[in-house]
Amino acid sequence: MTETNPVVLVVDDEVQIRRFLRAGLELDGFSVQDAETGADAVRCATLTPPDLVILDLGLPDMDGGDVLERLRAWSNVPIIVLSVRSNEAEKVRLLESGADDYVVKPFGMAELLARAHAAMRRHVRVSTGEPVVKVGPLSIDLAARIVTINGARVMLTPKEYRLLQLLAQHAGNVVTHQFLLKEVWGSPHLHDTHYLRIFVRKLRQKIEVDPTQPRILLTELGVGYRLVAPEGAVAAAK
Amino acid sequence: MVGMDRVRRELRGSLIALAMVAVTTVVVYALTQSLEVRRGSAVYLLPVLLAGWHLGLIPALVAAVAGVLWSGYFFFSPYYSFYLARPNEMVNLLLFMVVAVVTSHLANSMKKQKEIAQRREKEMGDLYAFSRRLAAASSAADIYLAIEEHLASLVQRKAVLFGAGSDRDAKAEQGALSQRVRDAIVEVQAGRTFWTIADDGAGDIWLVRRVSQKNADFGVIAIDLGSVPSDAIEQVRKRVDDVLSDAAATLEQLDVARALNDAKMRSETELLREALIGSVSHELRTPLASIFGAATVLSKSPAVAQDERLTSLAGVVRDESERLNSEIQNLLDATRISREQIRPRQEWIEPQDIVNAALERRRRRLSGHHVSLDMDSNLPFIYVDPVLVAQAFGQIVDNAAKYSPPGSPITVAAKRNGRDIVLSVRDEGAGLTAQESTQLGERFFRGPRHATTTPGSGLGLWIAKAFVSANGGKIEAASAGADRGTTVSILLPFATPASQPEVGPDD
Repeated sequence: MTETNPVVLVVDDEVQIRRFLRAGLELDGFSVQDAETGADAVRCATLTPPDLVILDLGLPDMDGGDVLERLRAWSNVPIIVLSVRSNEAEKVRLLESGADDYVVKPFGMAELLARAHAAMRRHVRVSTGEPVVKVGPLSIDLAARIVTINGARVMLTPKEYRLLQLLAQHAGNVVTHQFLLKEVWGSPHLHDTHYLRIFVRKLRQKIEVDPTQPRILLTELGVGYRLVAPEGAVAAAK
Repeated sequence: MVGMDRVRRELRGSLIALAMVAVTTVVVYALTQSLEVRRGSAVYLLPVLLAGWHLGLIPALVAAVAGVLWSGYFFFSPYYSFYLARPNEMVNLLLFMVVAVVTSHLANSMKKQKEIAQRREKEMGDLYAFSRRLAAASSAADIYLAIEEHLASLVQRKAVLFGAGSDRDAKAEQGALSQRVRDAIVEVQAGRTFWTIADDGAGDIWLVRRVSQKNADFGVIAIDLGSVPSDAIEQVRKRVDDVLSDAAATLEQLDVARALNDAKMRSETELLREALIGSVSHELRTPLASIFGAATVLSKSPAVAQDERLTSLAGVVRDESERLNSEIQNLLDATRISREQIRPRQEWIEPQDIVNAALERRRRRLSGHHVSLDMDSNLPFIYVDPVLVAQAFGQIVDNAAKYSPPGSPITVAAKRNGRDIVLSVRDEGAGLTAQESTQLGERFFRGPRHATTTPGSGLGLWIAKAFVSANGGKIEAASAGADRGTTVSILLPFATPASQPEVGPDD
């Protein structure tokens, strides 16, 4: 983390949600800015570029997806979306249009912070070029293309490695089926979710202690996969 | 009675005919005296024609005979005698009588035709008015009134409708009918016959029939035909048939319209209810999200985290608001199901992914139980909506945790059994009585044993069943009896190996 507190922009029209988010985020060391509307949010983000945006989808003036696109037009700030609907298609749409992750209301502060930190860490990693992602016992050296578990080398096929690499780059955040399919198999296979299922099963057999109860490579039903955040993996490993 | 009338009418006609002959005689006599006309017998055809036209056959014949006799008396030799001496007088008599018969017959049939034409005209007018009333009728009551009035005007007697529409109370009228007619009405209402004839014992015949041949709900009509001969009944019945077939068609249309209207009302009510539930649940969920989130912040805040009692209180707030939220989610799901808005988004999925996702979301709720997992590795993939199945499985897990004592074991399994993947949850809790087993999974069903001890809405398993069956599977529950534990399983058919997804060689 930087010397000064990271700035988070909370975009929500519900005052009570803003209040608890402010309390929780400030406790976690953030400096909090509020916006009630989409227009407010865009203006605010332009004036003081935040280090993180928490965006509620149910805004009175504009669709959350529009706010997302406007922000993404000029900024790659990590954006976590708050969704009240557990509508997987919508989550996928928002992730495709640039959200880093989502939480579904009601959500706990810990869940939101885990997502937020994962997204921020990724941005730091991208900017500093840090090559190694450690998730519990698993270590992925993105530069050397070497995967180890507790120091022991794990042999992966190129496609298995590519899959793990993509997940590791987003460690802690969800990665959609479509993104993985496009990156690993190419655009013609965008809907061949079963390719993913088969390769994830193989991958789990190589990196998980019990592949039927994965602790590292988690399934987000109807959305995609998530490599657990480093803290989460440590907690799960304890 | 009828005979006497007729005799009197004929006598009167004959007298008028004789008077006309007398007048003719006077006129002819005057003419013969002044104008020297000798042959006046032809003039006597006039009273015959007049009598035949206006008075009928007998007066015409009287006029013919009288005319021939008078003309013989005055104008033929021997004068002033009724003796018909010459053959042409006999011919005249014959001719006059033929004219009388023909004229009266012609007149009679013309009169009859005129009557028929007039009656038809009236009937047509009535029918036209009736059909206009039918077309304008906005309710069944309008139609029934029109039928009654039209039939009454048709037979010129009374027509009474029964059992048509709840707004009509014909009981009082029925009381005024004779027992035999009432029996006939009951018989037709019961559907034993479509129509029947009843004699009310006072000389009147009643036609009793259903208004609509197809639909018994449209009621029964009883029509007083008066003292008609039996061969006329058939004729009347046909006319009544015609009238009622029109009316029944209109009633059926109205019935369809009413059904449509009812359906519209129902769907509007339904929509209103959905909208209400939708908005209420939104209004409830937003503050719940604040309460839940605030509780999680509180439990981590330094002041509260130091005090175990406060942490547990914050935990209570968090858990209860989460529980409320899942009840609201159930309500929303229930309305989605009843609106048939469940559209599975099917994809290939590992069965254990579904189990793990359902358990992951409930980790805290399950922390009081010993949860053990028994999942086969390398289970075939299934093609389902994983979110719906995970929600269904989560409901079953929730139930296991709710209806078994804290600390007791819960075993979650994912197995292959024949052509099914079986996801099951076994607890050692309240079990199921035979009665509960049969009713389990009905909407709003809750075991009476738990009504006061364990909160719940009775929606959970019903929703689970709907979600699972939307994916082509089913839910089974087994229990050895009350307090002997329950095993609830989701059975999902998996595709045969041939249709299992395949991927080409790696790279």
